[in-house]
Amino acid sequence: MPRDLNHPPVDTGGPRGVDRVVNEDRIMKRVFLSPAVVILLALSIFPLLWSLGISFTDMQRGGSTIARQAAAEGIESGVGFLGLGFELTGRNYERLLGDTRLHSTVRNTMIYVFFGVCIQYSIGLGLATVLNQPFRGRNIVRVIFLMPMMMTPVAAAYTGRMFFDSNPLRSPLAHFFRELSKALQLENNISIPWFTDLGWAPVAILIIDAWQWIPFMTLILLAGMQAIPEDIYEAARVDGANVAQIFARITLPILLPISLTVILIRGLEIFKIIDVIVVTTGGGPGSATESLTLYIFEQALSNGNYGYASAIAYVLLVLVIIFATLFLATGRRLGGLRTD
Amino acid sequence: MANKAKAKRRSWRSSRRPLWQSALLYAIVVFWCFIVLFPFYWLGTTSLKRPIDVSRGPKYIPYRDFQPIPDHWDEMFGSQRESTERHFRNSLISAIGSTILSVIIGAMAGYGLSRFRYFWGRLGWDNDNIAFWIISQRFLPPAIFIVPFLLLYNFFGLVDTYPGLILAYTMFNIPFAVWIMRDFFDGLPVDLEESARVDGATRWQAFMRIVLPLSAPGLVAVAIFSFIFAWNEYLFALMLTNYQAITMPVLIAGQNNTRGIEWWFISALTLMAVVPVIIMGLLLERFITRGLTAGAVKG
Repeated sequence: MPRDLNHPPVDTGGPRGVDRVVNEDRIMKRVFLSPAVVILLALSIFPLLWSLGISFTDMQRGGSTIARQAAAEGIESGVGFLGLGFELTGRNYERLLGDTRLHSTVRNTMIYVFFGVCIQYSIGLGLATVLNQPFRGRNIVRVIFLMPMMMTPVAAAYTGRMFFDSNPLRSPLAHFFRELSKALQLENNISIPWFTDLGWAPVAILIIDAWQWIPFMTLILLAGMQAIPEDIYEAARVDGANVAQIFARITLPILLPISLTVILIRGLEIFKIIDVIVVTTGGGPGSATESLTLYIFEQALSNGNYGYASAIAYVLLVLVIIFATLFLATGRRLGGLRTD
Repeated sequence: MANKAKAKRRSWRSSRRPLWQSALLYAIVVFWCFIVLFPFYWLGTTSLKRPIDVSRGPKYIPYRDFQPIPDHWDEMFGSQRESTERHFRNSLISAIGSTILSVIIGAMAGYGLSRFRYFWGRLGWDNDNIAFWIISQRFLPPAIFIVPFLLLYNFFGLVDTYPGLILAYTMFNIPFAVWIMRDFFDGLPVDLEESARVDGATRWQAFMRIVLPLSAPGLVAVAIFSFIFAWNEYLFALMLTNYQAITMPVLIAGQNNTRGIEWWFISALTLMAVVPVIIMGLLLERFITRGLTAGAVKG
């Protein structure tokens, strides 16, 4: 239990009412915080440490059942370490180095995070700038812009699959490209093999994720822009600054802290990407679109390699921590990233 | 209402910008609305098309390009009724259950962090450290929980049960709930609680009768976020359910394998899963903005 240094258990000698309040608060402050802390310790910190332990074993699905059977049949030593059905080993971490599929999933994940953040931030910033202008129907438009964010990612992925189908008889997008090539009288019709081409498949996934999450960027950047007082702009206009100068010299610098925050949040979220990939390409072609989370999921659930899956999960965790730390450090250096 | 509208119109008219800027502005707005809305339109029309209209298309406008039929919706509420209802109910129960828990636990912890001073001596952590630790849990990759959760849930018999899903989603929702609520309580004056306590109310009574009613907007924001997260979650629903407790996202993702790709049916199912949440989200949009910008934007 946390020790409490602010309210040491001494008799205040004050009137009864104060005593009652102080004593009550000493208990209540724990009552208020404990449920959250207990749940996080039990369901977050404990699994975190446990999976670190598992990553140093060769635990497999069903291993403990074999061990239990061995124990029931009265075999002395049981199976594996302490009869638990697995052995302690550092081999998982050796295996990481030679696993080419892992390396490509790490690369894919980095690509998703980097390009995902870039695309979503730049378009989000543009749309926020547009929504920050007064125009008729702005409130309705703002609400419409929000819609993709609330869609189930699995559903967004299916919708994406309909659009990125390369058959112009099925997909409106492919149909549009065909009509466009006809109108431009091109030799060959534009036809993009979205999900079957090594290069295009990640692009399709990036687009689906961007469609869904640009609203998040827009919403927060817009809130940041609206918090900028109008007189700063007035002063700049009086000094003769044009629109571009105002944007580059005033809006962007003021938005820097909030920009770093949204980029950090979206980046950390994209590290977790799995549902869009499962529904669209399933990781293929080859493992060109497979993300780390999907790979871990397959190792754990399809192959039952609990030990190895945990070791890969720790690779992902280390990547996430490096990303977040670098980001927070840069943010502090540039000034003003709120971490409290 | 009328006043507000008038003020808005005035502000629109008073902003004198060159015509090309206005034109560009509206062009971008219309273009992006199209990007956002067309996929929904396509889902809607596809759910009303005959299979032949889907594969020999693309058909855009009902009654002109194709004859809409209600068959797939009939199927969803007819021959597939049992399945649709069960999965919808599963999503609803696990989302509502975890929402209630997250709101309660998040409000309590947020209040604690806002009103008391903690100091975890052994770690040297004060309130800010604790709050940062809690929010950092939100950003841990869920992949790291896959194996421990499988083992834990098997051990406690929680696989494929409502309590299992509710517990997992609550764990994921708590950090954000604490974060939003702490921010909200920080902006609430303490005078009211203090005077109530001088009058003899306990801390708990002051919290329940005075603080909570005042913080309805924050609670609503937390509730929407928790609900949408739990409703849309895929990875843990896939991992921790087999049959009884399967939720809508897993059902939709599974259409791939079990029936071949029947776009018309998937579209109907997708709309069924998406539309209620979007309507709720749009009605409560201002709370979403408020919640998302908590802590990110001051003021």
